[in-house]
Amino acid sequence: MTPSHPPSAPSNQYRHLRVPLLRRESVGNAYHVLSFEVPDGLPADPGQFVMVRATTWGNSPLLPRPMSLLTGGTTPEILLKVVGEGTLRMGRAEPGELFSLTGPLGRGWRGPHPARQPLLVAGGVGIAPLLFLARELASSGRRPLAIYGGRTSRDLPFSDDLEEVAEVHITTEDGSRGLRGRVTDVLDDLLTPESEVFTCGPDRMMAAVADATFARDVPCQVSLEAPMACGFGVCLGCPVPAVSGGYLYACQEGPCLDARRIAWYPPTSQRGAR
Amino acid sequence: MTHQAVRVGSLTLKNPVLTASGTFGYGLEFAPFFDIEDLGGICTKGLSLAPRPGNPPPRICETPAGMLNAIGLANVGVEAFCTEKLPLLRERGVTVIANIFASSIDDFVTLANRLDREPGIHAIELNVSCPNVKTGGIEFGRDPHLSGEVTAAVRAATRLPLWVKMSPEAADLAAVARACQDAGADALTAINTIRGMAIDPERMCVRLANRTGGLSGPAIRPIALRIVWDLVGLVDIPVIAIGGIATAADALQFLLAGAHAVQVGTASFSDPVAPLTVAQGIRAFCEHRGLSIDDLIGRARTSATS
Repeated sequence: MTPSHPPSAPSNQYRHLRVPLLRRESVGNAYHVLSFEVPDGLPADPGQFVMVRATTWGNSPLLPRPMSLLTGGTTPEILLKVVGEGTLRMGRAEPGELFSLTGPLGRGWRGPHPARQPLLVAGGVGIAPLLFLARELASSGRRPLAIYGGRTSRDLPFSDDLEEVAEVHITTEDGSRGLRGRVTDVLDDLLTPESEVFTCGPDRMMAAVADATFARDVPCQVSLEAPMACGFGVCLGCPVPAVSGGYLYACQEGPCLDARRIAWYPPTSQRGAR
Repeated sequence: MTHQAVRVGSLTLKNPVLTASGTFGYGLEFAPFFDIEDLGGICTKGLSLAPRPGNPPPRICETPAGMLNAIGLANVGVEAFCTEKLPLLRERGVTVIANIFASSIDDFVTLANRLDREPGIHAIELNVSCPNVKTGGIEFGRDPHLSGEVTAAVRAATRLPLWVKMSPEAADLAAVARACQDAGADALTAINTIRGMAIDPERMCVRLANRTGGLSGPAIRPIALRIVWDLVGLVDIPVIAIGGIATAADALQFLLAGAHAVQVGTASFSDPVAPLTVAQGIRAFCEHRGLSIDDLIGRARTSATS
């Protein structure tokens, strides 16, 4: 990543690869990390994603799944939570199993701005693109603030890894680790006029985070999750209503987007007018 | 190496594999994967006179061996296609079939006129069978009289080869097919998606904002094959097959049923290289059996069952 030159267009350097699964590790509650073997490397920016499907799936599930990258390079990794048929199959995959990987796709995080203090806000499996970002920041000598929330202590995959590269505040809904509550309970105290927020997690969490940043006039990017069949602007299955009218496509303009461009996250003051 | 070129009316395709409208964008999105000019041709996303934003989300959902879509013909509009996309396709030597959509016969004619002037368009495919828009689309394709009228009007507006894409939902598809042939269509494409639905039991709501969507993918292949077989027996113009084709073996079924060419659609989502793989597989089959494409077309119509 080159922070001073954010990607201005979605990558057209994506490839379709057939690669073996190198490793699968279970983490916490129904989370799995899959590592793939890509000898010539998958050069990805933090926030970019890949479309993933095992070649053994046959006709069902039919479509590949969009997955944020945890790392790129010669052993790219994804983090998944089992939520349906596709992720269930991935969570049972064995090393050596052949996968198709299309990527890197979409636009990653813009910036981060060199003069602002990065503040990463992650919810559960939303940690993936943010840990990738935190590691990139660490490699350029910056240590971001982070808030990481989950339902329980078992819904915080990679929290130790995050703590290596960021100053982390943990929240859990049941209080089994960190502060009992939600990420937004901590956010207000950590936001300063110099903050720049990057968030990924459940939609309602991101909406609340975006709202808090609007109130403080602080920049905020969200990493969107949307159903998509292709990942590169063809199926048109991932429209997101835009503030400017019409739609943005999560796979093309996103998945990382300025929260102010998305009609789902208008400031509270405008929300009633929708 | 056997000859893979096929003739569809006056148009010669490099090989019998095309891509289906709506599953291959404007072609260029697939250029990072393979040389798209190696295909028999590409059918563009349905083009309308003005750009269309499309339907609200959710627009797609996965179903057993298939998917539902209700995109609502989102597209950049014919002008942007001609100025921004077509020159790049022309440069590459891609065979381009422009799929067009309108809600009135006048607009269909205007679209055809506009495309007729553009070098690099090799045929026009009339979309009179989209199930996901309120006006136009399937309203034309269900009605033999209207189908014939649109076809005749567009026929008079362009010298380009004219293909008409059939809806599987016409009550009397034979009458629609004959009306299009009589009105001057050069080929029929079959089939467009079949309307379906899905409901999320957990959230107790329909999965698509449009409620219904068009079903595509391997789930519809046997239905498509039956319809293509019937159409080949009904009309004298070539039939181009589409419906759940993902492999060369799938495509061969349709050629053996009498289709002159095939379109690969939904398969391009799970494997973006699928259209090329299908074309290579058909070639390998021909070489292995010592047959030409022409030897294959319609062969199952005269063979005894195995």
